[in-house]
Amino acid sequence: MESPNRLLLLTTALCATLLLSGCSLLRWPWFGKNKHVEQQQTEDQAAAEEEAEDSDSTPPRVIEPNVARRKIKTPKIDNENWEIGGGAGFVSIEDFGTSSTYAGQISYHVTEDFFFRADVGQSTAGKTSFETLGGDIELLTGNQRRFTYYSLSLGYNFLPGEVFLGRKLAMNSGFYLLGGIGSVKFAGDNRLTLNLGAGYRVLPNDWLAIHLGVQDRVFDSDVLGETKVTNNMEMLLSATVFF
Amino acid sequence: MEPSITTTRSRRLRRTRLGFVVLACFLSVSALAKQTEAEKAAKEQAAQEKLLQVFVSEPYLELSTGPGRGYPVFHVVEREASVDVLFRRTDWFKVRTEQGVEGYARARDMRRTKLADGTPFVFNLGDMAGFTTHNWEIGIGGGNYGGASLINAYGAYSLTDNMKVEVTLSQFLGNFSNGYKVEAGITHVMFPEWRISPFLELGTGIVYVEPRATIVLPEDRTDQTAYAGAGIRMYLTRRFFLRADYRWHTVFTSRDDNQELEEWKVLIACFF
Repeated sequence: MESPNRLLLLTTALCATLLLSGCSLLRWPWFGKNKHVEQQQTEDQAAAEEEAEDSDSTPPRVIEPNVARRKIKTPKIDNENWEIGGGAGFVSIEDFGTSSTYAGQISYHVTEDFFFRADVGQSTAGKTSFETLGGDIELLTGNQRRFTYYSLSLGYNFLPGEVFLGRKLAMNSGFYLLGGIGSVKFAGDNRLTLNLGAGYRVLPNDWLAIHLGVQDRVFDSDVLGETKVTNNMEMLLSATVFF
Repeated sequence: MEPSITTTRSRRLRRTRLGFVVLACFLSVSALAKQTEAEKAAKEQAAQEKLLQVFVSEPYLELSTGPGRGYPVFHVVEREASVDVLFRRTDWFKVRTEQGVEGYARARDMRRTKLADGTPFVFNLGDMAGFTTHNWEIGIGGGNYGGASLINAYGAYSLTDNMKVEVTLSQFLGNFSNGYKVEAGITHVMFPEWRISPFLELGTGIVYVEPRATIVLPEDRTDQTAYAGAGIRMYLTRRFFLRADYRWHTVFTSRDDNQELEEWKVLIACFF
């Protein structure tokens, strides 16, 4: 008999607790009425005091600033680190004589000292002395004589200077060194090349540059029977523009 | 004698007329010249409005004749004077003074100038902070692709400091075959703020293989390839960093088996 009684008691207690706590959450009209009245009284008092104070001097006017803040748009700065151009020159293909070559180049100037450069070029190899002396002997077909190359290099600027033409004209100039890797397609085969070179650059104005450069493209060749290291010197006169 | 008088008169008259014509011509030409000058000034003004104007807040700003430390300083701009920024080349800014003198100012000095509203002139200096946060990177290098020599160039665009989309162009030259490949992928740099940071990469591409003529079945082929890889980036100095990675390639050949190839390479790269 004890347990039902206890259950009833517990349930009542629980309900009461819930109800009471719920009541406190509600906004009862009588609750806090006095507080509101008190607050109003104090506010009235404060206003009266303020009025009393203001009556002595002229009421201060608050000036609302009606000026919109100017928004300054900063124009974008033109970065001119890329250099693109092309030129013509000569390439001496080992054992195959010297031929004219046409090349294109693109550079990205990273700092004032270093730049990346990519070169692409094409030439047609001449005849070996064996072919010239031997009469009708042809070692390579016309298509195989095409000497196509590209290289990816890192360049270093040094010896910056100026070139003076007459009294009034001074142009910036500088030497640079180049080194990199690339590939050459010659005699029907692709070969890995190492390239080393140097160049001289003159800038008639801010966006134009005239280059005179020499590069050696070194690769293993087995065109004439045995495999050997060949040095292929290239001399190029080119013009580039900065953008 | 009358004819002579008339002749003189007429000659005088003619002279004056000629004088008037010459004067009129001169005036019209000078007016035209003035007009063109005014137009030029207006055009210049318009052009200048598009240029960024900065104010020297240090005692002076040095201008060099060229964009390099070797070029001599030929002009100084005094404090409070303004310069218009024409363009930037590496770490040098070509500027024009109020008097129209043009020269190159060092980026480090330009960092100490102020904009028209008094705020400092802020731009990317190309330092360690730039290594963490930048938009573009390019690099060149070499390595090994399944036993063949590899020549490699890549460019990447940063979606966030961690995530980059990159395109790689490669040529490989081996004893048995040569070829090219173009790949695009995503790189995740784990700790971009670290000087040496590892990264993971995933991508796909196309590989074109041309077996060398000495091998039997010299059949050129183009296959799709996919790769997963990991590597390390190391900040060197200024805008340069080294990048070395290893990629595991699967080439989806038209034969029964897929071909699996290993690639490793080292590149020197820069960011901007």
